[in-house]
Amino acid sequence: MARMKFLCDSERCIECNGCVTACKNANETEWGIQRRRVVTLDDGEVGKEVSISVACMHCTDAPCMAVCPTDCFYPTEDGLILHNKDACIGCGYCLYACPFGAPQFPQQGAFGARGKMDKCTFCAGGPESDPVLEEQKYGANRLREGKLPLCAEMCSTKALLAGDAQQVADIFRERVVYRGHRNSAWGSADHEADQSEQLAKNAADLAYDATQSV
Amino acid sequence: MEKSRSRTSVGFWLVMLLVGCMFSLPVVAQSQGADARREALQSMPGTTPDFWRDAAGGVSGRTTSQSVGADTLIMTEGERWKEIRNEWISPGGLLALGGSLTGITFFYLLVGRVKLEHPRTGKRIERWTRWDRVIHWYVATLFIILALTGLSILYAKWFLMPILPTSLWSAWMIAAKNIHNYLGPLFSLGVLVMIVKWIKHNFFNLVDLKWFIKGGGIVGKGHPSAGYLNGGEKVWFWMIVFVGLTVAVSGLVLDFPNFGQTRETMQLFLIIHAVSSLVLMAAAFGHIYIGTLGTEGAFEGMKTGYVDESWAKQHHDLWYEEVTQKQNKS
Amino acid sequence: MRLHKKVSDSSLDSQSANRLGVSRRGFLKGTSLAAGGIAATGLLGKTMIRPTQAATPKSSAPVEIKRTICSHCSVGCGVYAHVQNGVWTYQEAAFDNPINKGAHCAKGAALRYHGHSTRRLKYPMKLENGQWKKLSWEQAINEVGDKIEQIRAESGPDSVFWLGSAKFNNEQAYLFRKMVSLWGTNNVEHQARICHSTTVAGVANTWGYGAMTNSYNDMQNSRSMLFIGSNAAEAHPVSMQHVLIAKERNNCKIVVADPRFTRTAAKANQYVRIRPGSDVAYVWGLLWHIFANGWEDKQYLAQRVYGMDEIREEIKQFPPEVVQDITGVDEQTMYQTAKLLSDNRPGCVVWCMGGTQHTTGNNNTRAYCILELALGNIGKSGGGANIFRGHDNVQGATDFGVLSDSLPGYYGLADGAWKHWAGVWGVDFEWIQNRFDQTEYRGGKPMNTNGITVSRWVDGVLEDKEKMAQNDNIRAMFYWGHAVNSQTRGPEMREAMKKLDMMVIVDPYPTVAAVMNDRTDGVYLLPACTQFETYGSVTASNRSIQWRSKVIEPHFESKPDHEIMYLLAKKVGIEEQVFKNIAINGNEPLIEDIVREYNRGMWTIGYTGQSPERLKYHQENWHAFDFTSLRAVGTDAHGDFYGLPWPCWGTAEMKHPGTHVLYDTSLPVKDGGLGFRANFGVERNGQTLLAEGSAPVGNEIGDGHPEFTAAMLQQLGWWDDLTDAEKTAAEGKDWKTDLSGGIQRVAIKHGCAPFGNGKARTVVWTFPDAIPKHREPLYTTRRDLVAKYPTWDDFESLYRMPTLYKTIQDRDTSAEFPIILTSGRLVEYEGGGDETRSNPWLAELQQDMFVEINPFNANTLRIADGDDVWVYGPEGGRVRVKAMVTNRVDRDVAFMPFHFGGEFQGEDLRKRYPAGSDPYVLGEAVNTVTTYGYDPVTLMQETKCTVCRIEKAA
Ligand code: SF4
Ligand code: SF4
Ligand code: SF4
Ligand code: SF4
Repeated sequence: MARMKFLCDSERCIECNGCVTACKNANETEWGIQRRRVVTLDDGEVGKEVSISVACMHCTDAPCMAVCPTDCFYPTEDGLILHNKDACIGCGYCLYACPFGAPQFPQQGAFGARGKMDKCTFCAGGPESDPVLEEQKYGANRLREGKLPLCAEMCSTKALLAGDAQQVADIFRERVVYRGHRNSAWGSADHEADQSEQLAKNAADLAYDATQSV
Repeated sequence: MEKSRSRTSVGFWLVMLLVGCMFSLPVVAQSQGADARREALQSMPGTTPDFWRDAAGGVSGRTTSQSVGADTLIMTEGERWKEIRNEWISPGGLLALGGSLTGITFFYLLVGRVKLEHPRTGKRIERWTRWDRVIHWYVATLFIILALTGLSILYAKWFLMPILPTSLWSAWMIAAKNIHNYLGPLFSLGVLVMIVKWIKHNFFNLVDLKWFIKGGGIVGKGHPSAGYLNGGEKVWFWMIVFVGLTVAVSGLVLDFPNFGQTRETMQLFLIIHAVSSLVLMAAAFGHIYIGTLGTEGAFEGMKTGYVDESWAKQHHDLWYEEVTQKQNKS
Repeated sequence: MRLHKKVSDSSLDSQSANRLGVSRRGFLKGTSLAAGGIAATGLLGKTMIRPTQAATPKSSAPVEIKRTICSHCSVGCGVYAHVQNGVWTYQEAAFDNPINKGAHCAKGAALRYHGHSTRRLKYPMKLENGQWKKLSWEQAINEVGDKIEQIRAESGPDSVFWLGSAKFNNEQAYLFRKMVSLWGTNNVEHQARICHSTTVAGVANTWGYGAMTNSYNDMQNSRSMLFIGSNAAEAHPVSMQHVLIAKERNNCKIVVADPRFTRTAAKANQYVRIRPGSDVAYVWGLLWHIFANGWEDKQYLAQRVYGMDEIREEIKQFPPEVVQDITGVDEQTMYQTAKLLSDNRPGCVVWCMGGTQHTTGNNNTRAYCILELALGNIGKSGGGANIFRGHDNVQGATDFGVLSDSLPGYYGLADGAWKHWAGVWGVDFEWIQNRFDQTEYRGGKPMNTNGITVSRWVDGVLEDKEKMAQNDNIRAMFYWGHAVNSQTRGPEMREAMKKLDMMVIVDPYPTVAAVMNDRTDGVYLLPACTQFETYGSVTASNRSIQWRSKVIEPHFESKPDHEIMYLLAKKVGIEEQVFKNIAINGNEPLIEDIVREYNRGMWTIGYTGQSPERLKYHQENWHAFDFTSLRAVGTDAHGDFYGLPWPCWGTAEMKHPGTHVLYDTSLPVKDGGLGFRANFGVERNGQTLLAEGSAPVGNEIGDGHPEFTAAMLQQLGWWDDLTDAEKTAAEGKDWKTDLSGGIQRVAIKHGCAPFGNGKARTVVWTFPDAIPKHREPLYTTRRDLVAKYPTWDDFESLYRMPTLYKTIQDRDTSAEFPIILTSGRLVEYEGGGDETRSNPWLAELQQDMFVEINPFNANTLRIADGDDVWVYGPEGGRVRVKAMVTNRVDRDVAFMPFHFGGEFQGEDLRKRYPAGSDPYVLGEAVNTVTTYGYDPVTLMQETKCTVCRIEKAA
C-alpha cells in the first residue's frame, strides 16, 4: 500500500509560487484560498534565507481530525487525510490545530461564518460519487487518473516532490548523496570543509528520516 | 407511594446519565499523538540546523498567501491546544458535569426534596416581577440551547454520530454551530441586562455569612435566615457575573473572527470558553436542581412570579418580614 | 452498552471506511445548501472582499490535447492544454518538453486562466467625450486608417509610430516589420529596445551574434556561473532547474553579484553586493585579479580574441582599492570570486536587465563578454554568455527586426539590405523608396537611418521638431502589445499622450496606456487575441524555435494580430505588396506562408532551415530530445537540436541540425559547430581579425577566414560545387544575400562557417567607448566620483533625437535624493503586468505595489513594514506605495517592482478602464519616478539606477 507524501527540497525551492498557482489551476479554488503556500524564512538575510512550499502534510494521526467536532476528516488507503465538505460546519478548529496552517476558509465573517473548509486533497478529490460534482467541490481527482499532484508536477525546479513516500525519499536521497558526497554546499553559504562534512552527515540522517514514514 | 416512585425514576435517569458520562470518558480522552516535527522532517528535509530551530520554533517568514498566520511555517501551539482540548478539557468537562450530577443524585437520594415545613397558606406574595421572569427565562432558554449546541460541538461526535444517519448528523451539527453562533451574542446581552438588573440584591451581608455557616440549612437545626436572596443564590449570581461574562466575552471573540485574530488567540479563547462554560454548566445543574426538584415551591416563583407565604417564611424570612411590614404600613 | 459499542466502532479506520461509503451515495445536498445560506449572511471581514473569478465549467466531453508554449518568458516552457468542447479545461505538465520537463513558475502554472479571463478587451472601442464607446471592427479600422493617412499626408509617414511587441509570434513580428517598412517608416519598435538592446549591440559587436551563446539546458554542464544583474529565480524560474542541477551534479559554483539579495542570491555559493551602476568596474576588478595571477586562458586569447592587450592597459586603472571605492566590494571578495571563476571552468555569465538597462548598458555587456573571453569560456559546452531574454518571443521579435535600426535578420537599413528584402518580398525597390520621406535630414534619409526608439517616443512627441532628424513630431501612436508603464519618465509620458492626435492600443487587455493618458478623445482600443488563440512559432532565449498550436478560438471579438495587420494594410492600400507571397484565408494571412517567406530571406542568422514542417515535427516529438544536450535521439529529427536553434544554416533540405552552442569549434559546422563571426574586417592596426590556428573541426581552410562570397568560392575553387541554379542565384552575392542558399551549403560542405572564422574583439572602435569604461550614472549619490568618471557629453542626434548626458549629470541632486532607486521583477507578474494582474490566480499573490527599504532607513524615517510611503524622484514624479522593510536591499538602495500600473501619483485610475476590463490589482508604476538616461549606442533607458527620497505618507 502506497503511502503518499510531499517533500519540499529547500535547497531547490526558489519561491516561484509555481506550485501555488498550479494548485489553483488544478483545483480552481476561489480567491483567497491557497491550498499551498510558500514561506520564506530569514527573508533577505544573506546565507540564511530558505524557502519552503507547504500544504497539508496528510499527517499520521492528524491533529485536524482529532479536533474536528463533526469528524469530517477521513484517512484514505494512501495515507491521505481527506475532508467531507457536506459535514463541515466551518468552525475553524482544524486550522487552530494544524501545525502547517493548511486548512483554508473562504471567509472569516462575523458569527463565525467561514464557509466550508478547503485544503489540499493531494489532488485526490473528495467524497462525492459524481466526478463533475466532485471536481466542483473538491477540485481535481488526479490520483484516480493515475496522475500525481499538479503542484509537484509543475514545480519549477523539482524542489517539490509528491508521491509514494519511499520513492520520494529515494529521489531526495540521491540528491543528498550528490551534494554531500561532493562536499558541496549544503545550505546557502559555502561552508568550511569540516562543517560541510557535518552537514553532509546531517543530510544523510535527514534523508534517512524521510524514508521512515509509517 | 406515588411520590417515591417518581423519586426513583428521577434517580434512575440521573444515574444513567452519570454512567453514560463515565463510559465515554476513556473514549473522549483517547490520546492521538500526531507529531508536527516528524511530519515536517519527512516533508521538508534538508536545510541547516538553524532553519530547524526557527521553523519548529514557529518563527514567521514572508509569504504571498493572505491567510491568517500563513507566514508561520510550523505552528507548534496547535498541538498543545489539541492536547489541552482533547486530553484535558473534554474528559475534564465530562468529569465536572458528571461530578455535579453525581453530587446532585446522591444529595437527592440521601436528603430528598426540601419540603414546605408548613402547609401553604394560600396567600401569595410577589417575588419576581414580570420583567424579572422574562429576563430569567430569556437567559435560561438561551443557556440551555447554547449548552446543548455547545456540548454537541465538544462531545456529539462520540455520542450522536455513531447513532445518527450521516445526513442527519451533519444537518444537526451545522444547525448546532449556527444556532450557537447566532444566539451566543443574544445570550451575552441577556446576561448583561440580568446582571445590571439584579446586582442591587446581590451584595453579601452578615445574614449571608450565617447562612453559609449553617450550610444553607443542611448543617444544624432550623432554617437560617435569609433576605430577598439567600447566600446560595448570591453565589450563583456572582458566578454568572464572573464565569458567565467570561463565557460571553470569550464567545464573542470566537464568534467574530473577522478582526484578524491570530490562531493563537483563538486557541486561548477556545480554551477559556470551554472551561468557563463547562464550569457554568456544572454549576447550573445545581441551580436547576434547587430551583425545581430540590425545593418544593421554588419553581412556581419563577413560573408565576408569586410564592406562597409559607415558602417565603421558610426560605426568606427576612424578606418575608420586610414585605409584610411594608404591606402593613400601607 | 449500546452507546459504548457504537463509539468504539467509530475508531478511526472503520469509521473512515464507513463514512466514505455513506458519503459516496451522495446524500446531504439539502443541508449543505441550508448551511451555505446561513453562512452567507455573515458579515465579510475587511480583508475578505473577494473578487469573483470565472470558473471553468467541467465536463466529461472528449479531450483534445494541444501543445503550446508559455507566453510569459523566454525560457519557453512547454504546455499541454486539454480542450473540451472548445474550452480549455485542464493544463498538464509537459514532462517531455526538453526545456522545462513539465516545470513552470507561477505564471506558467496559471496559464490556463488566460483562456477564461473576462477582464479582456472584448470589442473595438474608442474614447469619445471621456466615455468608452463600442465600435465595429470595420468602423474602427476605417477611422484609424483614415487618421493615419491624413497624418501621412500632412506630416509624412514618420509621424506615425508603430510600437510592436515581443508578444507577437515570429510570423507576426516579421509581418509587422514588413508592413511598417512598406508603410514607409523605420519608426517601428518593440520592447527589445528597453530590454536587451545593449546586449544585442554589445555582444554582436564582440563576436558576431547578439544572442545567448548556449542554452538553459547547457548550463547543466557549467562548473561556475556568475549572475550579474540577473534574478533568474524570479525572472526565469524554470532556468533555475538547470542551474540547480549543475550545482548538484557538477558542484557548480554560483556567484551572484547584485545590489539586492535576491531569491537567486539565496541559492548562490557566494553573494556579492555591488553598488548599482558599477558593473564595469566590478568586472575590471575581477579581471585585475585574473590577469595578476595569470588565470586567463592564454592560448584561447591568442587564437580567438583581438585586443585583449588594450583591455589589460585599461584594467591597470582598476586596482582593488579603486574597485572597492566604486563598487563597494573589498579586495578579498573580489579575489575569491575571480579565483572561483578561474578554478571552475567552463563557466558562464548570466545577465539581464540589471546589466543592460543603464546609460552604460553597452559597456556593461561588453565587459561581461570580455570576462568570458579572458576565461576562455565562450564556444564551449557549459560556458557562455547566458543572456536571459525577457518576453516569450523577444528573441524572435528582435531577430525579425521589429526595431528602428534594422530590417529582419539584422540586415541593417542600407540600400543593400532594402534590396535584399525587396527581392525576397517580390516588391519593387523603387516603390518602397517612394513610400518613404525622401528628404535628407541630419544623418541621412529616413529610409536608411535609425528611427526613433520606443524609449524615446515621448521625446518624439514633445521635442522641438526642428531638432529632430525627421519631418515632424510623432502624431499617432500604435501601442500594439506594449506596456507603457515599463517605460521611464511617467509624468512626461502623460503629457506626450495628451499631445498626440491619436492613440491606438491593440492588445488583449486595455493596458495602462488606455487609462493614464488624461485624454477624452482619440483613443482606440482594438482587441487582439492571445497566443493561445492563434498559432505560430516562438523563439526561446536559447534560439530554439518552438511551434505553438492554437488552443482555443479567439475570445469575444478579438482577432489575431496578423489578421489585424491585414485589415490595416488593406485599409491603407498596401495589402497587395505586403501579402504577395502569403495566402489569405478570410482575413487571416496563412502563418506557414509567412514562415516560408522569411526562410527565404533570413540568411544572416540562419532562420532559413526551420521550415514549418520541421518545426512542427519537433513540436510533435518533444520526447525525442535530450534534456541536457537538446539533441534528438531517434525519430526523423535524429541528431537535430531541439527547435533548430539558429543559425540553422542553408535551406530546410540541407537538414542542418541547428546550433546549440555558438562558436563551438569542437563540432563540424554541419553538426552545429562555429568559430567567431568575421564581421569586423580582416585586419586592424596591423593585427589580424581572423582566427589563428583555431577552426571548427573539419574546416578545410584550417584557419581563420573571412565571410563567404561568390568571389571567395571561386578563389577557393569550390564554385563548381554549386548546382547550376545555385550558380545563377549566387552570382555576385554573398552568404547573406544568396537566396538559393548555395553559398552556405558549399561553405558548410567544406567544414566552413558561412560567416567566416574570425576573432572576437574586445575593442569596438565604432562605439562611443571603444573600450568599456566605468561612467557614473546620470543620477548618482557619489558625486565625488563624477569628476573622475564623468558621463558623455550631450549628443546632438541619436536615433533622430538630441540626447542629454552631461547636462543631466551636472545637476547635483544627492542632498535631496539620498537613496539609489533600482527596479526589477516579481515572479508572479510579467512586464507591465496588464495581463498577469488580470489573472486572479496570480493577482491574489501580489496585491500591493511596494518599495523595499532597509531597516536602517526605515527606522530612521519611522516607517514600519506595510506603511504607506511616498517615493519621490528627482524629475518631479512621485508614487504612493507600501513599504517593505527588508535586508534584501542595503542602506543606500531602495527597490521597486515594475509590473504595476493603474494608479498615478496617488490617483486611482480604475474608473477609467472600460467597464469590466480593469485588472484585479492596480498600483503605482515605478516608472513614474524613474528618470532620464539612455545608452548612447541603443538608447536603452536607465531603470536600474536613479535616485529617490522616501517619506512616510500621511
Ligand atoms: S490539515 Fe493540517 S493537521 Fe490535518 S492532515 Fe493536513 S497538515 Fe495535518
Ligand atoms: S496536491 Fe493538489 S490540492 Fe494539494 S496543494 Fe498540490 S495541487 Fe493543491
Ligand atoms: S514551484 Fe517549486 S521552486 Fe517554485 S515555489 Fe513551489 S516548491 Fe518552490
Ligand atoms: S514564465 Fe517562463 S519560466 Fe515561467 S512557466 Fe512561463 S516560460 Fe516557464
